[in-house]
Amino acid sequence: MDQFLQALINGVALGGMYAILVLGFSVIWGVMGVINFAHGEFVMLGAYMAWLANNQLGVDPFLSAPFIFVLMMGIGYLLQLLLVNRVIDRPHLVSLLVMFGVSIIMANGLKLIFSADFRRADSSLRGAYDLTDNITLPVTKTAVFFIALAVLGGLSLFLQSTRLGKSIRAAAQNREAAQIVGININKVYAITFALCIGITGLAGALISPILSIAPFQGPPLTLRAFAVTAMAGLGSVKGALGGAIVLGLIEATVAVYVSGIGTNLAIIASFVILVVALVVRPQGLFGGLRPVDATAS
Amino acid sequence: MLKKNPLYAIFLVLSLVAAACSGSSSEVAEGTSESDTDGTTEGSETNEQVDFDGTIKVGAALSETGKFSVEGADSRRGYDTWAQWVNTNGGIEVGDKVYDVEIIYYDDESDADTAANLTTKLIDQDKVDFLLGPYSSGLTVGASAIAEKNNVLMIEGNGTANSMFERGFKNLFLVATIASDYTKSGIEELAAGGAKTAVIAYEDTAFPTAVADGAQEHLEANGIEVLAVEKYPKDIQDVSAIMTKFRGLEPDIFVGGGHYNDAVLFVNSAKELGWDPDGMLITVGPSNPKLAEELGEDLNGVTGPTQWEATMAYEGDYFGSAAQYAEYFQEQHGQPPVYQAASATASGLALQIAIEEAGALDTDSVRTALLEMDAQTFYGPINFDERGVNTAKPMGTVQVIDGEIPVVAPEAAKIRDLEYPIAN
Repeated sequence: MDQFLQALINGVALGGMYAILVLGFSVIWGVMGVINFAHGEFVMLGAYMAWLANNQLGVDPFLSAPFIFVLMMGIGYLLQLLLVNRVIDRPHLVSLLVMFGVSIIMANGLKLIFSADFRRADSSLRGAYDLTDNITLPVTKTAVFFIALAVLGGLSLFLQSTRLGKSIRAAAQNREAAQIVGININKVYAITFALCIGITGLAGALISPILSIAPFQGPPLTLRAFAVTAMAGLGSVKGALGGAIVLGLIEATVAVYVSGIGTNLAIIASFVILVVALVVRPQGLFGGLRPVDATAS
Repeated sequence: MLKKNPLYAIFLVLSLVAAACSGSSSEVAEGTSESDTDGTTEGSETNEQVDFDGTIKVGAALSETGKFSVEGADSRRGYDTWAQWVNTNGGIEVGDKVYDVEIIYYDDESDADTAANLTTKLIDQDKVDFLLGPYSSGLTVGASAIAEKNNVLMIEGNGTANSMFERGFKNLFLVATIASDYTKSGIEELAAGGAKTAVIAYEDTAFPTAVADGAQEHLEANGIEVLAVEKYPKDIQDVSAIMTKFRGLEPDIFVGGGHYNDAVLFVNSAKELGWDPDGMLITVGPSNPKLAEELGEDLNGVTGPTQWEATMAYEGDYFGSAAQYAEYFQEQHGQPPVYQAASATASGLALQIAIEEAGALDTDSVRTALLEMDAQTFYGPINFDERGVNTAKPMGTVQVIDGEIPVVAPEAAKIRDLEYPIAN
């Protein structure tokens, strides 16, 4: 029983980490129809910033994270202005290729700046908190989980309650109609992209004490973001959380009870859910802003 | 035009990316380590005194980019160190002639197919005489098959999976200890310390699988019961499920790992679960000072295999002792050698010794000399069996103790006793 409870705790905590990792990717895809192939590299960029602040100035990644969020928002805004905005009207494949190019430029750029050595930031929020003799709370991941909840809640509130948030949702649902009613679509896209890159950078800072930071660690994170988003629903905030927790729970429990190949089986199981979801419920398990359909715009 | 048609801009960006990442860029190092460009005069003065009769062309596909770029760079520094040493210490004697060495490098992008293609290119276009291996078993598998097909010798020290040497190849030689023996001395030492039970977790790719299979054999041979064996896919991002299960089994020691990143995950995860096994033996990572730097006290007590350390009591005619080699390497590169670099240097050195012994440059003569070799070097003894594996050199084991990484096994190489159980 203790082992099951421990696996549940691990799974939910892991889900929180995955949720904040995929949120930016999901909203960019959902609102703008852009598959951000460089997502993992933006996570790494945020993580490197946190590592740098930690290594050079001794700042805890949880303290530098808000500043990194703002900085990454600026980077996102510039990138949208210079690149994404210019290809957004083209077929989806073009923006995907552009972001693929950006991912390679970023990975190699990060290698030039930081070398290919693996890094890890140190945080005072670390180790285990004993709930009972046999059940512990992973301190870092639990902190990330609650921050993820706060960010997801904040973003959800922003999208539901503010005029700008409503404009973003309108742009996602029907771009032409949104323009007809006077929404400045370029401005909406710029803010969406900046916000999402900010959140992605923030996620990078938060995972910097948990995962290794290296220039070429991005692609597996992008793949995970892709899987969670497609499964749970494009641009859906509650979908990002729900999908990530489903994934986290599968990963954290299957390997505990299936001997030898449990970890592999967990990955197969999560992709089976993805494939089934795409076939029977293309709008995602939790309902996204749009279906996973390349022709939808 | 760019403004009107964004496709031109995309094409331009992609072209630049393709150019930047292209594996077709080659670099030639004729004894040119980084320090050459810094102008090490001592080396070039010596170099001028020797009038070489010719150049031996050696080729290597190495990872400058991609996930093995750290180890690829270490390997390259190792190869460069050998070439630099040869070219500034009288060259290689072949009969009554003296040759210098030129190494042609290509970036294999940490990709097995690219490594194999570049090996073909080195043989067909660059007409290299010999090959040195890429980094990792995954990349060496294909590259060595190309070398075998073309009857070109490949000497390597950083691809140690057993499966590579079960193919009956005649042209592949490994100076390093083979993967299945990676954990041998460490497990023997842990068993001597009183360990009775163990768990194993490994990445299900060629090298970690060979290490884990070997570990299981060594554990059983030393009377340690294996309570569970778990495999996991590469690029894993969380191992908490595996570690939760292991914690419940209460083993004395944990044996695991695949590559550097996994060491971080295992150590982190054990701490998150409040699990402190009496011993942790992690395949890749603990011998690298950078891991100790990044993980700090969390890594304290963790043991790991090492092919080579500068403190080992090995000595040979070339480079002198292990410590002297380390000193020479430090002068060349401004940093101490990790074992991947020493393995790379030893690969070049084995080739050099075989050429000098054979007195010829043809594949058959040098192969015969390699098979007959019984040499003492800074890297340890080199004596290849019929598979091409150096069976003379035992694997060392290090333990991270208060930021230091002393060798704790085998008996002949250790500088302090294993700390077991780990004091937490």
